[in-house]
Amino acid sequence: MSWITRLRGMFRRERLDQDLDEELRAHLEMRAADNLAAGMSPEQARQEAQKRFGNTALLKEDTREVDIVGWLEEAARDFRHALRMLLRNPGFTVVAVLTLALGIGANTAIFSVINSVLLHPLPYHDPDNLVMVWESNSQHRNPHNTVSPPNFLDWQSRNTVFSSMAFVFDERDNLTGNGEPQEVVVQDVSASFFSLLGVDPIIGPGFTPENGQPGHANVVILSYGLWKERFAGDPAVVGKSILLNGHPETVVGVAPQNFNWFIKDGSLTGAKPQMWSPFVFPQSFHDHKQIGRFMTVVARLHPGATHSQAKTQMNAIAARLEQEYSDFNGHWGVNVVPLRQQISGDLRPALLVLFGAVAFVLLIACANVSSLLLARAASREREMAIRTAIGASRWRIARQLLMESLLLALIGGGIGVALAVWGTNALLAASPRNLLDLRFVSMDLHVLTFALAATLLAGLLFGFLPSYISAHSRISETLKEGGRGSSSANRRAFARNAFVVAQLGLALVLLTGSGLLIRSFVRLIGVDPGFDTGHLLTFKIALPRSKYGTDPLRMAFFQQLLARISAVPGVRSASMESFPPLTGLGAATGVHVLSQPSLALSDLPVANVGVVGPDYFATMSIPLRVGRLFNAQELAEEKHVTIINQAFADKYLHGVNPLGQKAAIYMKSFAENEIQPSEIIGVVGDVHQIGLDTSPEPTVYWPHPELVMSGMTILVRTSNDPLAMVSAVRNELQQIDPELPMAAVAPMDQLLADSLSRSRFTMLLLGIFAAVALVLAAVGIYGLIAYSVTQRTQELGIRIALGAQRRDVLRLVLGQGTRLTLLGVTVGVLAGLGFARLLSTLLFGVSATDPLTFACVAALLGLVGLAACYIPARRATRVDPIVALRYE
Amino acid sequence: MHGYGITLHIQMVSKDILRVEEGSLYPALHRMEQDGWVSAEWGISENNRRARYYRLSAKGRKQLAEEEKNWERLTQAVAHVLQFA
Repeated sequence: MSWITRLRGMFRRERLDQDLDEELRAHLEMRAADNLAAGMSPEQARQEAQKRFGNTALLKEDTREVDIVGWLEEAARDFRHALRMLLRNPGFTVVAVLTLALGIGANTAIFSVINSVLLHPLPYHDPDNLVMVWESNSQHRNPHNTVSPPNFLDWQSRNTVFSSMAFVFDERDNLTGNGEPQEVVVQDVSASFFSLLGVDPIIGPGFTPENGQPGHANVVILSYGLWKERFAGDPAVVGKSILLNGHPETVVGVAPQNFNWFIKDGSLTGAKPQMWSPFVFPQSFHDHKQIGRFMTVVARLHPGATHSQAKTQMNAIAARLEQEYSDFNGHWGVNVVPLRQQISGDLRPALLVLFGAVAFVLLIACANVSSLLLARAASREREMAIRTAIGASRWRIARQLLMESLLLALIGGGIGVALAVWGTNALLAASPRNLLDLRFVSMDLHVLTFALAATLLAGLLFGFLPSYISAHSRISETLKEGGRGSSSANRRAFARNAFVVAQLGLALVLLTGSGLLIRSFVRLIGVDPGFDTGHLLTFKIALPRSKYGTDPLRMAFFQQLLARISAVPGVRSASMESFPPLTGLGAATGVHVLSQPSLALSDLPVANVGVVGPDYFATMSIPLRVGRLFNAQELAEEKHVTIINQAFADKYLHGVNPLGQKAAIYMKSFAENEIQPSEIIGVVGDVHQIGLDTSPEPTVYWPHPELVMSGMTILVRTSNDPLAMVSAVRNELQQIDPELPMAAVAPMDQLLADSLSRSRFTMLLLGIFAAVALVLAAVGIYGLIAYSVTQRTQELGIRIALGAQRRDVLRLVLGQGTRLTLLGVTVGVLAGLGFARLLSTLLFGVSATDPLTFACVAALLGLVGLAACYIPARRATRVDPIVALRYE
Repeated sequence: MHGYGITLHIQMVSKDILRVEEGSLYPALHRMEQDGWVSAEWGISENNRRARYYRLSAKGRKQLAEEEKNWERLTQAVAHVLQFA
């Protein structure tokens, strides 16, 4: 009801004012007339009436504010006033706005990444009920180990917590026909894979349950990207046949653009899929003895089933399977991981640390602006006192100052969001490949809401204290003392000192964080990978079974290819390996050294298996420690020999002479009687297989004839830039087989850089934030000291007039700065010790409380703090006593 | 009754014990008008001046009854306390 009256009031603002004026005038006149009648003089009568009325302006203001018009008008007036004040001090305004823009912009940019990576809904139906199910081994401590098909079948038949389970494993296949041959990453999946995720193809019927039956699985769904690139986005591709490894497959659908199922742990290719094909288990997949662990498994919880129920039941099932098949499942358990956690798992700690860092930057920025406002409030103290004296209430003054703060925050926030848009693009451009998915990071409503909330919060945060102190100053004191030494001035000085200490402390926390990351990065790049990464070209070749169905055909192909590449001018040597180092992949299995007691398969020591071509160790520059390398005969036919690395000798042979020892390597089969042991003929240096941050694992090398694989990585040692050799090498390949593509072409240096990219990225960002924090903190302490020198000009002038030396003045001013800096550093070191623990997952080879880092950072901050104080301190020594005494 | 009349009336009825400050009278009158407890219109005063006349509305009467009840409860309570003092 009443708001209608108020709204109506908005349209008659003018009349309202006039009416009020007239009403009050009538009142005055009537009182004056009565006074006159009571015998006062006309002059007295009017004065008495006016006195009873009190402050007419205030009364009008109060009465008018009852109306929404009045209220809005007051707000608008505050706003205009605030704008005028900001424009009158352009220096202050620019510094404050830029400081805030930096803080809010950095927060918004990082939040937009967090929003897309951690908060954005996954593009599946009801994604919260999706989980990954892994095997996990209590001895190898790998919580996300791939799954063996027989165990998958047992899980599937025994559980009651999942409404559906599906497997995925990926491989590289050759797509031929219609155009250039192309290697594509294909995920072999359960026929129920898409229906489990609740994803429908954008065109085509997709997989049917029938596609899971033998003889009906020759169908594929294309990824959106492949459909656009290779089939020009032609909808008529559905129903057509394509050739995959020489076999015809029918296209039954195209996946949505945002569908990109990729789980890094457990991916055999390490690449995103371009095609999906249903896979039917052959008989061998039902037997633990014939098949290893290589699949990833995704499952959907039954409606009503909880994650913890799923964990409990799956653990019970795994425990029974461990007993039933103790040979193969000994020490093997199960690990159920929510899908969201799986996907964001790697990025989560780094993102949360960065978010914490930008929050600190914003806090420092707020402290800076608040401190600036306090300094300014002191110079406006008399303005406020006069306004109070003529009737402005405390709330009224606080409101106006808060309006100024909010206006500052809003301008800063606006520029900050613009900065964030630009910063997010820079962030994505600087982020390593495959770390962030460009398409999903964008400024959506969530991000803008966050930016607005951050802005308003910042405005209240830095505006509250200055306006509170101003509103509570005692006016009589202020007016008497000329604005200096009053209680509110003391409170302001205390608040500003506290802000500077807090800023220095926060900056120190950020600096130690980034110092620790830099130290661990230096440690990381100082690690010797164990081979020479320079001038080494790598690419992958996958031979289709249709054309290269037998071992001799494959061996002949690779021999011919390596011979041809080696002969190319500019190539020093060429070789190949099944799983090259630093790509995060490897094949591991149990190895039984025959001189040691026999153990169950699952209790055997585990080693990586590398299948290598001729001249492998020379091409990679891996040194031979003991024994000899493979000879020509061993590289041409199966002679049952192996070379081990130093880690294998150290860890499993315990000083026993390795040469001549025989080892059963359970790679081709898991049945003991089918294994022909290999004789150890040499020991070579260790290589970091997974990455520089993981220590070298025990490894056995086999020459190619021992295990003829169809997919190999070719390694070419060149004299000059390896990428310049690509076309010459491709030419040789096409001379042998024009249908074969070169995949994943990259210099080894690039692979090394990629394996370090996440550490480098986090280090870079945290470094930038720490630098910003350092600059803001330096500006903060500089501003404080400079201000206090200005305030104390008179005092300093008197001291100099009385004979104080430059040194004394310098000591006086620097003393203040030094005390604050030391206090800030102390607070920061204590806080840093607490916060650094959160970083520990991101560190390598350096402890979270590394004393050297803390000492260096504390010294750096101390020096910067003192340098920032020195500038105003020097100015203080140049105070001219005459001028200073005339100052007031 | 107009604003000045209200101050005089209160002063008279309360036998000079209560005196309403103009500083709080007008904001209060306008607030009551916004809430619809009183209605206001322009009229001519006894001595031929244009003045704003306030009248209690139906809603205002109900509110008054409510406030009277509250006041009565309060004064009774105070009286009880005083009896025991």
